Amino acid sequence: MDKQRDFVLRTIEERGVKFVRLWFTDVVGALKSVAIAPAEVEGAFAEGLGIDGSSIEGFTRAFEADVLAHPDPTTFQILPWRGEVDPTARMFCDITTPDGQPAAADPRNVLKRTLAKAADRGFTFYTHPEIEFYLLKSASYGPEGPQPVDQAGYFDNVPGGSAHDFRRSAVRMLEELGISVEFSHHEAGPGQNEIDLRYADALTTADNIMTFRTVVKEVAIEQGVYATFMPKPLANQPGSGMHTHMSLFEGDTNAFFDASGEYQLSKIGRQFVAGILHHAPEITAVTNQYVNSYKRIWGGDEAPSYVTWGHNNRSALMRVPLYKPGKGQSARVEYRGVDSAANPYLAYSLLLAAGLKGIEEGYDLPAEAEDTVWELSESERRALGYKALPSSLDRALGLMEESELVAETLGEQVFNYVLLNKRREWREYRLQVTPYELESNLPIL
Amino acid sequence: MTRPQSTLTELARVGFTDLSDVRALLETLDIATEDAGVFGQAADPDRALRALARLQEQHPEDVAALSSHAEWSARAVRVVGASEGLADFLRRRPQQLEALRERPPGPLGAETYRAELAAAVEATDDVEQGRVALRVAYRRHLMLLAAWDLEQDDPLQAQPLVSEGLADLAGAALDAALLLARRASTFPAEDVERTKLAIIGMGKAGARELNYISDVDVIYVADAAEGLESARAVEIATRLAAETARGIQDPALEPPLWEVDANLRPEGKDGALVRTLESHRAYYERWAKSWEFQALLKSRPLAGDAELGQRYCDTVHPMVWSISQRDGFVESVQRMRERVTDHIPDDELDVQLKLGPGGLRDIEFTIQLLQLVHGLHDDRVRQPDTLGALASLAEHGYIGRVEAAEFSTDYRTLRVMEHRVQLDQLRRTHLMPRDDDRLRVLARATGLAGSADEIVALWQSTRSAVRSLHEKLFYRPLLTAVASLPEGGLALTSDQAKARLAAIGFTDPAGALRHIAALTSGVSRRAAIQRTLLPVILQWLADGADPDYGLLAFRKLSEALGESYWFLRMLRDSSGAAERLTKVLAASRYVGGLFERNPEGAAWLENDEELRPRSLDALLEETRATVARHDGDTDAAAKALRTARQREILRLALSGILDVSTIQEVGRGLTAVTTALLTGVLSLAHRADDGIEFAIIGMGRYGGGELGFGSDTDVLYVYRDVGAGERAQATAEGIVRDLGRLTEDLRLPLDLDADLRPEGKNGPMVRSLDSYRAYYARWSLTWEAQALLRAHAVAGDDALGQDFLALADSVRYPDELPVADAREVRRIKARVESERLPQAADPARHVKLGRGSLSDVEWFVQLLQLQHASSRPALKTTSTLEALDAVVEAGLVTEADAAKLRDAWIIASRVRSALTLWLNKTADVLPDDRLQLEGIARLMGYPPGCASRLEEDYLRTTRLARQVFERGFYDA
Repeated sequence: MDKQRDFVLRTIEERGVKFVRLWFTDVVGALKSVAIAPAEVEGAFAEGLGIDGSSIEGFTRAFEADVLAHPDPTTFQILPWRGEVDPTARMFCDITTPDGQPAAADPRNVLKRTLAKAADRGFTFYTHPEIEFYLLKSASYGPEGPQPVDQAGYFDNVPGGSAHDFRRSAVRMLEELGISVEFSHHEAGPGQNEIDLRYADALTTADNIMTFRTVVKEVAIEQGVYATFMPKPLANQPGSGMHTHMSLFEGDTNAFFDASGEYQLSKIGRQFVAGILHHAPEITAVTNQYVNSYKRIWGGDEAPSYVTWGHNNRSALMRVPLYKPGKGQSARVEYRGVDSAANPYLAYSLLLAAGLKGIEEGYDLPAEAEDTVWELSESERRALGYKALPSSLDRALGLMEESELVAETLGEQVFNYVLLNKRREWREYRLQVTPYELESNLPIL
Repeated sequence: MTRPQSTLTELARVGFTDLSDVRALLETLDIATEDAGVFGQAADPDRALRALARLQEQHPEDVAALSSHAEWSARAVRVVGASEGLADFLRRRPQQLEALRERPPGPLGAETYRAELAAAVEATDDVEQGRVALRVAYRRHLMLLAAWDLEQDDPLQAQPLVSEGLADLAGAALDAALLLARRASTFPAEDVERTKLAIIGMGKAGARELNYISDVDVIYVADAAEGLESARAVEIATRLAAETARGIQDPALEPPLWEVDANLRPEGKDGALVRTLESHRAYYERWAKSWEFQALLKSRPLAGDAELGQRYCDTVHPMVWSISQRDGFVESVQRMRERVTDHIPDDELDVQLKLGPGGLRDIEFTIQLLQLVHGLHDDRVRQPDTLGALASLAEHGYIGRVEAAEFSTDYRTLRVMEHRVQLDQLRRTHLMPRDDDRLRVLARATGLAGSADEIVALWQSTRSAVRSLHEKLFYRPLLTAVASLPEGGLALTSDQAKARLAAIGFTDPAGALRHIAALTSGVSRRAAIQRTLLPVILQWLADGADPDYGLLAFRKLSEALGESYWFLRMLRDSSGAAERLTKVLAASRYVGGLFERNPEGAAWLENDEELRPRSLDALLEETRATVARHDGDTDAAAKALRTARQREILRLALSGILDVSTIQEVGRGLTAVTTALLTGVLSLAHRADDGIEFAIIGMGRYGGGELGFGSDTDVLYVYRDVGAGERAQATAEGIVRDLGRLTEDLRLPLDLDADLRPEGKNGPMVRSLDSYRAYYARWSLTWEAQALLRAHAVAGDDALGQDFLALADSVRYPDELPVADAREVRRIKARVESERLPQAADPARHVKLGRGSLSDVEWFVQLLQLQHASSRPALKTTSTLEALDAVVEAGLVTEADAAKLRDAWIIASRVRSALTLWLNKTADVLPDDRLQLEGIARLMGYPPGCASRLEEDYLRTTRLARQVFERGFYDA
């Protein structure tokens, strides 16, 4: 740690960094940034930087009006998009109360706490997200709705298309920020893209996702387009998910791998999947936290609406994917429920907690879903015991409120705040009269 | 050689234990002894004899020389008798027996050791053989030092010299190993030559107070001579350092000496093994933590380049002394203290020489703490070693000379025991032997005692002296800063004393000093006793949540109790009571305030029986006697009754804080105290001939027998005309007025509250029973029926009280609660939730009206009582917790749900009481402020630093209760 701090201070000197942005995340997952001068960095390391939390979502409690941000030197990076003229760097922060205890409302702390719990059981948690997003011509839109930048489809290479340039710039910028990119391609919807981040421990991944969103937005601005992580921006096109591959390691060993298991999935792996499936409905309010999220889940187009698992079944909520023989270390499972607008710190905390619960309680994995789940009739699904994910944010919040797992993992204060904040969103949504209602009701009623 | 055979008795007298075996062995041994008596000088005669016999068997020619040399033989007997490890060495290297021929010279000094060990490694070109030569030479000198040590008449006097010798010898070993490392280096010779490497001794090696066997703590510093890149020098030096350590600790034909431990270096295990001086400086200026500076206190050039080593020390030493100015110094001192007591395996606790109460670490901690506090302004107390620091702290007036001398002796006594224990097997250990045989050997080896029992007794008495050391050296001198009481010529300045007080957590050291002055000055007996007691009291106060307030309250209490014999005796004789007193004073302003008026309550702390709530019968008996005593003087009687109430509430507060009583017992106790007061004043206000009957009905928490500290006293008043005629209402109103006046207590308000009466604030304060009957028959509102659920006749004319309750029963236990009424209860509750909660209050944190808190649980239970009590008599109780048990019993609620409600009711009640105790005023919101939360958490029995845990526990418990409530109350 001390070596890291030395490195940061040295780099600031050597590179002539003019500003250092201290980043942290509020409870809904919005990135917050405070810029400080290089001279203040050393002090911020030593004592933390006092910030006024009262204007930040979830930090509104009286004492947290006065919180301290402690930059994590291992997250130091020069931000490439500011150019060489005025070099700017960033670090993620941990938030504490003035007496040095981790701030209850800091999502990064929630994830750290959950990871520590896994570590107590000997596990480290690795994740690898596939992040989908749309490129639109502009953030503003007319009566036709938002306009995507192109009309291409899955894996299409668009000659001269801005999407291609876009992905190249974005990937380069991510690599400059030390974020390894696994894969990038055009997705199914027009203007829809996907970039996959390399495997990393969950805290790094969550930090990377926050950086990723900023990078993508910055590059879009540079190219005169608009990038959005909204779960379902276009009614008739696929939504933007953040499918996440997960694995647990015990030391250097992948705990999900068992050469003799079905799909080479170990008992721990099966229990982990069972845990997530068991708790999936109650964590959905966090993994899919907007009113709009439920339009993706229930909008068809391969979005997983039912609590099922399968092997290479693109309609299942959880997938145990194929991997090359002899690559036991890459054994993993994929959760397809999360969308691109989730708060990654909280979403990963809950997925991990649910999986661990499965291991702890020794849950049994239900039967594999071999059919395409959305093609079954309602009765068939009932007969097969496939439960549905919540149909709306309101339902999801109701399930979350009853969940000890979620309360315990998020901590009482974040738990309470998420419920309050999201209930408010639901109320506001309900006040709307939508174009759909006008179109279908007004002419005849 | 023939020798007259000894009798077994003679052998026993010498000190042998296996007599027959010994006699046989003695026959075979061929050394210069007139008789077996020479073995009497060995710590373990049996072992000495066996060791020499084995040696003779394997190497007869080496042992043969002994046969003509009595003094040599005697020396060999002493060495192998005290050390199995050295006996093994001699068996491996019999030629070394020769070294014991002459009288051992004592510690030879660093230069001589260095020359001797260097000569040993220079005698061979081979690295492997060099290592063996180094180790054999080291052990020869270790053996000579041990032989000298064992011959001393006064081992305590010799101990520091032996430790210095061991440190010098360790430095010489490192130098010789470095010599080997340089010779073996594969780097170009001229580069190696230009690479300077200094080995800095830390810890005991640095302070020249080393043990026979312990890890040697070091830090490496490198520098480049002219013509070599600094980075290259670090690279080469890193290899040299690693190779040097291997020379000492890697396996070889002669076993390793000890571990070379470089973990005190910057960044510990993860840091670079070797740094330049500049890099060290930068690290300490920027990153080092307080404890790392504490380690630097003992650093000294130990081996390698002396000039570079000296520059290192000149650079880092001044930094040590700025740390007490840093933020977080107080916390780091506390952590240092925890380290003293932590990490001792239970099964070692009773045999630890080093750790644990009264161990060596206790002495070292106290001395270091004093050095850190005072060394900042006084460079004369910056000695690296414990004994040197002790002496200079005494010389310059920070501790008493007498104490310094005592503890110097205690320290050396423990060190001699430790040395002998280690010498035995040449193993790093700090554990006393467990069995009597080994203890006897240890006693003989130290020369400090003659038997197992004696050495154990000496150890115990030393330990108990050391246990009081901290108090004697750290706290006691604080008193000298404020009073002219030269203790061995010692007087701290007030700045010195303030520095000490701030270091242990007093936020206003100047104020604390004033209190100390007030407590201890003067020639009174009280002051004299306080001077003895205060040091330890300060130590206890410093462990509390609010030491500053605790000291102030203690001062007030002491002044109030003046010369009270029992108080001083209690403080002096019963440390349990004095410690409890400091605990409650530093925890509760409420208690501090009550003590101001009832100082004699301190006496109860001696006896748990006195702290138990007194029964209602006993209280009523006292009330009757008080009223009778003040025959006719109403005001004097009422005053006496109020004083009694304050006294009993103090008793209950102490009882609750010290966990003598549970929150339920305290609730019943507070209720009884209130009833006793009301009964007493009513007997003053309500004359037997006034023509009415009068009764007081307890309502709310009072009626339920569940009062907390700072709760209101909810009541109803009722009368019945028995001859007063039309004066009856006026008479009753007069009684109510008198009750208010006679119970008024500004210090500890009773807050009689009759707002639950019919028509609330608009209704008459008191009604006749008939009026109540008419009212309830006509208007009976659901909320009134609900309020009556907790009605309980507490004082006044008994028959009237019972008649009122019979009336109440008809209202509160209806045969069937109409659905509309149940709905009404729910509706009112919902409205209370949205309206009564104060603006901007966080519903999750309001303990009375908030989510899942007191009112949720109470309404939940009360609705069930309204609905079912008429058919299930067990529900007819005014107590919330009893009613909760009854609804489970009746099968209306599952035990799991009831448990959640019960937990929430209890935690909310406890928080509310703790708030009053901590703040000395009533508050209904779980605070946001961290200090307040910490104080409340401590009152509720959480360990220090658990503010967040209390918050989390409270929020979780009430949330779960709210879930039960919503399901069972609104949805039912």
